[in-house]
Amino acid sequence: MHREYSNDEKALIMLSCMQSYNARKKAYESTTKLSTLYKDYTQADKIIKECEKRGIGILTILDKEYPDKLANIYDPPYVLYYKGNLSLINRPRKIAVVGTRRMTVYGKNILANFIPKFVECGLVIVSGLARGVDSVGHRICLDLGGYTIAVVANGLDICYPPENLSLEEDIAQKGLVISEYPIGSKSLQYHFPERNRIISALSDGVFIPEAGEKSGSFITADYALEQGRELFVVPGSIFSATSKGCNVKIRELQATCVLTPQQVTDALGVYAESSPARYVQLNLEQQIVMDLLKHGSKHFYDLLEGAGIATGQLSAVLSELEIMGLIRKIQGNFYEIVPTL
Amino acid sequence: MLAKTRSYALSGIDGYEVLIEVDLNSGLPSYDTVGLADTAVKESKERVRSAIKNSLYPYPVRKITINLAPADVKKEGSHFDLAIALGILIASEAAECKDYKDYIVLGELSLDGSINHVKGVMPLIIAALQDGHKKFIIPSANAKEASFISGIEVYAFDKLNQVVDFLSGKSQVEPLKTSEFSGAKAENKYGVDFKEVKGQYVAKRALEIAVAGGHNVLMIGPPGAGKTMMAKCVPTIMPDMTFDEAIEVTKIHSVAGILDNNVGIVATRPFRTPHHTATVPALMGGGSNARPGEISLAHNGVLFLDEMPEYQRRTLETLRQPLEDGVAVVSRAKQTLEYPARFMLVASMNPCPCGNLGSSTQQCKCTPGEIHRYISKLSGPLLDRIDLQIEVDAVSYEDFRSTIPDEDSATIKARVEKARAIQRERYKGTKTKTNDEMTNAQLKKYCALDAEGEKLLKNAFTRLNLTARATSRVLKVARTIADLEGCDDILAKHVAEAVQYRSLDRKYWD
Repeated sequence: MHREYSNDEKALIMLSCMQSYNARKKAYESTTKLSTLYKDYTQADKIIKECEKRGIGILTILDKEYPDKLANIYDPPYVLYYKGNLSLINRPRKIAVVGTRRMTVYGKNILANFIPKFVECGLVIVSGLARGVDSVGHRICLDLGGYTIAVVANGLDICYPPENLSLEEDIAQKGLVISEYPIGSKSLQYHFPERNRIISALSDGVFIPEAGEKSGSFITADYALEQGRELFVVPGSIFSATSKGCNVKIRELQATCVLTPQQVTDALGVYAESSPARYVQLNLEQQIVMDLLKHGSKHFYDLLEGAGIATGQLSAVLSELEIMGLIRKIQGNFYEIVPTL
Repeated sequence: MLAKTRSYALSGIDGYEVLIEVDLNSGLPSYDTVGLADTAVKESKERVRSAIKNSLYPYPVRKITINLAPADVKKEGSHFDLAIALGILIASEAAECKDYKDYIVLGELSLDGSINHVKGVMPLIIAALQDGHKKFIIPSANAKEASFISGIEVYAFDKLNQVVDFLSGKSQVEPLKTSEFSGAKAENKYGVDFKEVKGQYVAKRALEIAVAGGHNVLMIGPPGAGKTMMAKCVPTIMPDMTFDEAIEVTKIHSVAGILDNNVGIVATRPFRTPHHTATVPALMGGGSNARPGEISLAHNGVLFLDEMPEYQRRTLETLRQPLEDGVAVVSRAKQTLEYPARFMLVASMNPCPCGNLGSSTQQCKCTPGEIHRYISKLSGPLLDRIDLQIEVDAVSYEDFRSTIPDEDSATIKARVEKARAIQRERYKGTKTKTNDEMTNAQLKKYCALDAEGEKLLKNAFTRLNLTARATSRVLKVARTIADLEGCDDILAKHVAEAVQYRSLDRKYWD
């Protein structure tokens, strides 16, 4: 991890410690020779040393690995701190998956159906490690062995939200975690919208499975449109608060309404080799239960009456079907067929 | 003159002999109690004096010294009153008693000379019997409880002067007749029955399995789902207590002073529901005057913790060791007490603080942080000791108008007893009594799976996100399910059903 930094780079590192983005931009544009910005570089040296100690890498806009996509936006971050596999940042196809922090089962179903297809097509999933859609998106992607990038709104020495610590460690190991804030920065409120511009800039498209009307994901969406990225949203129930934002975008014709993962991958021009359909052999009881569940979720009692078998036996059949991945238990002893597109 | 009478003192639920020495000396009239007596014993001075006076005996105007031997152990309780009063009467030669040294005397005096009920008579008598004492004088109020012990002579009295008359040979009193233990054979004594619980088939089945294998259960469900009602029904399907079990329970309840004097023995399985504000000593036992805690009072029965995450975390963690060893150990600076505490834990909780998480009709208002904090009150090691975690839901039975009949407790109990008989046969000669208590070696021996079962278990882990420590739990529960069916081998379907009862492991709260 050890490398030497030029004074230009050190100046950029010191710039990254400035609170306000505008001040950073002004200072950056005020000179053509960066190394003249500061006289004393001890602060930069300190940050570099701390980062090396923690295994955090530093990528500046002067590096040749710095992605063009990011450099070409109106307000690129001058420095990126990172943990993990940096080569992911220059992989050609990426999609941002963002959305509500208060995700419902509907959102989870969407992710469970869309992300496997994205991973299959070789898309890198970019998201923000927030609660809800972000963390579930990262997690599903990692579980499938896909690549994912988390752009966080704080220094890499802390983790926010704290419950995602193990997720962040997993991403740092198998994917990439990046931040434009030096270590020691807390996740301040205004960091989140700033961070969103990086998420959209890195990606070819932004996918929003579920988001409320005032969701921060639409800040990412606005950046996406500004930066010329595709915006995909999934419609939801008109009564659902957590789908309202998506529905409004569709209504106002600001986003591409997608109904299948194929529509997203086609729009981005990525394809996967088609996998053969799976067939499973069911026994009589399993078939009866599957038939009962065909028209929506059913409570255990309904199944008990419909199938006419003993309580214990039904529990066993339900477990078997669950293990096959055909049905699942939702809360309150209700069961449903796992929705597939 | 010097008089020595005998009594017994409690230590945990055992007793030790206390010799009460009364000596009268010349000097200014006074009354001193020595031998580490606590306040209740020291206050006996006033009760004893009034009782003697009001029983129309002369009270000696002498310097009275009372020693409780062994002198270096702290004595508690008011049950030495009667022995002290007798000692004073004998020492002052107000009463002529023979053979009084053969009797173990227990009883608290009232100012008018009558003898009041005392705590812990059964454990004290049993301890004395083990030390070879056969004759006892006790309060009439405790007669019923003492009558269940055979091979001893117990005399029960209401008044101090009756005791004196008996000991001096002025009156004849018959020893108590031994009572027969009728067990819980009589009609349902619990006042509840599983047939009153409509629907809830999953929960009922899980509770049946839990009782059959001695497993602990956690019920998760919204408020008003009937968790408490079902928990109350659990004792009704437990096998009847044997006489030995009943005696164990009665000893504890007698020490705690909650024994029904008219019955004298605890014949039904205890059901204890400590409130969630309960402190550690309230649950574990102890305190300055050592008393068994709720978990010991639930010995051989059910401990029901309603709204489990509402308990203080520290309180819950203390349950871990008793759940493992079946005893509550209370250590104090001066002494360490052990109370038996082999109970079945039935706990309940809401899925989140507001109770509506996952409900189809109500909106959950909790933040992820709140839910996380709520769930994390239950530590992994504690959950590890709870084999079955089931969801109870508030679906109203009327919505379904089910044609499936609700079984009564007696039917379920019959099945449970059959499964227990199989387990008794299997674990004959070992310490293990139920599947829940299986050791690792026994687990390997009795929970072998066939290829199909192994495959199912392996798939279950990857597909349903079961945690690794769930394996042995699932296997034990599968063993019980097989036992309920009378099946020698654990089949795949038994494992499949056992997997259904691991709700918390499935990370519902993601």
